[in-house]
Amino acid sequence: MINAVLVFNNAGQPRLTKFYTQLETSVQQRLISEVFTLVANRPNSACNFLPLPPLLASSSKSSAPTTPHNDTPSLVTYRHYATLYFMVISTSTESPLALLDLIQVFVQALDGLFENVCELDLIFNFETLHATLGELIVGGVVVETQLDKVIEGVKAQGRVAKRPVNEGKGGLSLGGFGRGDGVWTGR
Amino acid sequence: MFEKSLYDLIRGLRNHKGTEKEYINESIRECRKEIRTNDMDLKSTALMKLTYLEMFGHDMSWASFNVLEVMSSPKYRHKRTGYLAAVQSFRRDTEVLMLAENQLKKDISSATPTVIGLPLGAVPHVINPSMANSILSDLLPRLTHSQASIRKKTVVTLYRLALVYPETLRPAWPKIKERLLDEHEDPSVTAAIVNVVCELGWRRPQDFLPLAPRLFDLLVEGGNNWMAIKLIKLFATLTPLEPRLIKKLLPPLTKIIRETSAMSLLYECINGIIQGGVLEAIEGSTEGEEVARLCVGKLRGMMVIEGDANLKYVALLAFEKIVRSHPHLVSQQQDVILDCIDDPDISIRMRALDLVVGMVNSDNLTAIVGRLMRQLRNAPIASSADDPANDRGRAQGVIPYAESDDSDAEESLRPAEQTSNQPPSLPEEYRVNVVRRVLEMCSRDTYANITDFDWYIDVLVQLVRVSPATKAASALEDDNDGHQCDDAGRRIGRELENVAVRVKSVRSEAVEAAQSLVLIDRKDQMFPASGNGGQGVLECAGWLVGEFANHLTRPEDVINSLLHPTALQLPSRVLVIYLQALPKVFANISANDQISWTPARKTLMSLLMARIIHFLEPLSTHPSLEVQERAVEFLELMRLAAEAAAGTETGAAEGEFTEPPLLLTQAIPALFSGAELNPVAPGAQRKVPVPEDLDLETPINPNLHNLLTQADMEGFEAEDDDVYAAYSEPISSYQIEPQPVSAAERLDAPHKEPVSYQNATEDEYLDPDIVARRKAERKERYKDDPFYIDPDAQQGSGAVTPLGSIVREGNQELDLDSIPIMDLEIESKSASNEDYSRARSPRRVVKRVEIMGDETLGSNLYDSSRDEVESSRPSNGKGKKSLLQVDSSGLGSLSLSDEESGRKMTKLDIERKEQEEAEMKKALMEVERLRLEMQRASERLEAKTETTVKKKKKKVRKAEVEGAVVDMGGGNDNVTEGVDGEKVVKKKKKKKAKADDGGEGAVGEGAEEGVVKKKKKKRRQVVMDEPAEATDA
Repeated sequence: MINAVLVFNNAGQPRLTKFYTQLETSVQQRLISEVFTLVANRPNSACNFLPLPPLLASSSKSSAPTTPHNDTPSLVTYRHYATLYFMVISTSTESPLALLDLIQVFVQALDGLFENVCELDLIFNFETLHATLGELIVGGVVVETQLDKVIEGVKAQGRVAKRPVNEGKGGLSLGGFGRGDGVWTGR
Repeated sequence: MFEKSLYDLIRGLRNHKGTEKEYINESIRECRKEIRTNDMDLKSTALMKLTYLEMFGHDMSWASFNVLEVMSSPKYRHKRTGYLAAVQSFRRDTEVLMLAENQLKKDISSATPTVIGLPLGAVPHVINPSMANSILSDLLPRLTHSQASIRKKTVVTLYRLALVYPETLRPAWPKIKERLLDEHEDPSVTAAIVNVVCELGWRRPQDFLPLAPRLFDLLVEGGNNWMAIKLIKLFATLTPLEPRLIKKLLPPLTKIIRETSAMSLLYECINGIIQGGVLEAIEGSTEGEEVARLCVGKLRGMMVIEGDANLKYVALLAFEKIVRSHPHLVSQQQDVILDCIDDPDISIRMRALDLVVGMVNSDNLTAIVGRLMRQLRNAPIASSADDPANDRGRAQGVIPYAESDDSDAEESLRPAEQTSNQPPSLPEEYRVNVVRRVLEMCSRDTYANITDFDWYIDVLVQLVRVSPATKAASALEDDNDGHQCDDAGRRIGRELENVAVRVKSVRSEAVEAAQSLVLIDRKDQMFPASGNGGQGVLECAGWLVGEFANHLTRPEDVINSLLHPTALQLPSRVLVIYLQALPKVFANISANDQISWTPARKTLMSLLMARIIHFLEPLSTHPSLEVQERAVEFLELMRLAAEAAAGTETGAAEGEFTEPPLLLTQAIPALFSGAELNPVAPGAQRKVPVPEDLDLETPINPNLHNLLTQADMEGFEAEDDDVYAAYSEPISSYQIEPQPVSAAERLDAPHKEPVSYQNATEDEYLDPDIVARRKAERKERYKDDPFYIDPDAQQGSGAVTPLGSIVREGNQELDLDSIPIMDLEIESKSASNEDYSRARSPRRVVKRVEIMGDETLGSNLYDSSRDEVESSRPSNGKGKKSLLQVDSSGLGSLSLSDEESGRKMTKLDIERKEQEEAEMKKALMEVERLRLEMQRASERLEAKTETTVKKKKKKVRKAEVEGAVVDMGGGNDNVTEGVDGEKVVKKKKKKKAKADDGGEGAVGEGAEEGVVKKKKKKRRQVVMDEPAEATDA
């Protein structure tokens, strides 16, 4: 199952934190900064899987290293989009490549909701961000992978706010993309 | 009053560059005020702001009651804010959870679908066992809600309910199953159910076998790749239970592998084939070969695909799973895998490293190690300070601050472009890992893969030069035992030591290497230029130069290095070793009695001793006791020696031979020469037979009781040490002694405690050379006594001497067959071991020691005995839980196969059960492990040619045995628990039932059964004599 979904920007600022287990706020923050440290130095050509951050690795080391227990988080998958990192921490029962697709669906859904989504949209509408994630994953289990259904589900919960007009400095059209223009090559 | 919206807050944050902290604190203060008002809008906005700030680590647990208030607002907008805040901020210990229960129940039963969605999403985050049962009754009707989105979320929420309280799954499962079997169900609901079943499946696969036909249909229908992946994962856990599934699955799986366009699905197909044991099942047939070739071929394809690092990574993951069962398949792909060792991506390298360790053999070892060594040598040492962003995140946590460049945040989320592509420098952790892996590969099976030990020694020396610095070296001073394993230097040292001891033929080379490491003048050359990397090796190198001083080529230089002032700065544990090595090397230099005691020789020796004394003197007040003790001991020894040397007249004439002082040539060397040190198997010490005349019953001091009572009366602790006893011993006890024994005789009785401190002065009144002679005589006398542990001998050798003697004595004195073998139980645990039967024979046990004494490589039984020791150690690590881990082990003991739930439970029952479950978890794991091992052992006994009929019979009988074992496990558990006071009997009963369940699960995993299963279950219940409803508990 999925243990946590994190979104943070290139500077390590959290934009979304969702832990599917109850964790102390301070521990959450430490985990975020550890994961960020791991991911920040990676070149873009590198693969999208991270070694376990020390906070998670230390406790799992005690069990046999060869066969990770199915309950312990053992997989850190991420994708990097422009200014944001999307991370999923999961157990070995999830498929690594499928998780990459899932992040893709997540971002695509956000893009569909906000039309040409950017970090600012997520900052100012973090409730919608949570709602979108809630349509994809409930309690660490994936409930929907179809893009249109996710969007439909979020929209059913109320109007999706648009980005504040005066915040944009008019730079909204910066490198927009439409769905299906080839940038999102699914695996 | 001015009120901020969330929007204002965020803008404010962005506008307060540099003073965010103050701004946030002020905002939180405002929120505290706003959240107490009666205006629900204001309250909700404040809560929203707090939730936003919580993301950055600002605690909002104080607002939990207000969260509840907002949750209970009739307006959806408020509710949504409230639920989000609850999800993000409620913790296990949040007190208002009890109050939230009603709100949750109410909203689940709401008529508005959007409102229902809120608690469905929130319950998994806030649920606790005491709430589970009551919420369950509201959740169940939602499984038939008209909207698919509600249904699918309900399924998942039910799963989370079952995680905290497995009993809830019993009523829920039939309904979930009904949804799954319904062919007209919305596909996304089916997919969600499959996801849940997949999560449940790996714990109790046997309960889901009946679903196989439906799952198979879903897989063949196709359409949803995500669901197909989960189905394949699920099938991989089912196939070991139902071998017939493999035949059925193969065609669709191979079809998918050949046809699918989705790489993830392709990969999981291969993975499923590997994990489901399909390769093993069809091995040998032409079909099997074809499938194996197809899988490995596809994996290879993934490795070589240009530029997709992810595929490389997952392919390595898959290879890692095959390498244990099919090493030959993997070694065919050696070329591509080895290339990954040099991949610029650390993640890939780590995977490849793990994999390579599994596929190493004597042919490719040199090449692989060579690659890794080159990597270590050429890559720059990374420092985490390189990256300022990295530093910030670490040092102060993340604080929301104004973006340095606002336009950044407006960039759309396109996949980042490739900007930099330089290979990363190697992080320390990776270096440590590489060093560890290299040592692991080389030392595997007692150096089975190494053909050239000179090469290995060179590798070790080279490793020291590239080894990473140890973290917090200064802090390592004394409490370093915990860090031992992380010190690469020390690991290397251990290997060097090991080689020197085990492989006599290269001992001089190994000592030479140790010598070069110890020598001060070669320090710059031998160790990394910067940092303190590799210093840990000195500990072992120091020991080597001392122990094998006769192999040294430059003993004078070595002693100079040992005496070098910089040695005083070494960590105390290294210093201890140095101190011990010092007299050994000195003895080696001074011992030569062929050299005439000329004035030159005398001056040389005196000077050397003076220098040693000078070095030791300051250490006699060293803060570390270990150092201090040794320093004081050797200091006195050296002073004696110096006196003796000064007192011995030198030869007058030129060519005339004068005897050097005996103390130098005989006594001191005798301290350090004894039986040679041999590698001793960890279990060997235990196997030393107890001598018949060893009387452990007789009190050491007949007057002990009096002593203790006296000590008690004086108000001291009864367990006072011997020193205290010696002081407080009444004089009368001395008078009991029949007649005064000579001091020497008293010394000769090593098993007696020193009766008086007068003995300690013996050295002072006897001439040093006599003391030395005495010691030598004693040594001689006890040389053949296997049970005499030479008090003078160095610690390590003391332990070995008796063993070595046994070996030498052979079978003359001891009736070897009568040697009791202890810890039979432990041995039976490691029954899976190949050497099982041989290791049990007493003759063999002794032989093992013998082999180790004589063989350069140690005995091949070494590993088996190590396993023994390890298995005897309690596996305390298992209890530890990973941070993010959701513990689902409770589900493992819940059987779904019996549809009807047995009993109603009161609250009290529930709580008690939780406790028991925690205890059971441990017990079950132990029982299961034991059982699996037994099963493996008995399977080996089963001849393969047996007919199926016979097999069936045997299975049933085995089940009986298992039942007995499980029973025993449960019983033991009760015993260890101690007297619980109330309802022990009932508890035990329940436990047995549980253990039974666990046992069943495990049986299913290992054995190939199916038809037999039902029969067996029935049979076992008879054997166990369990009432049927207890099994349901």
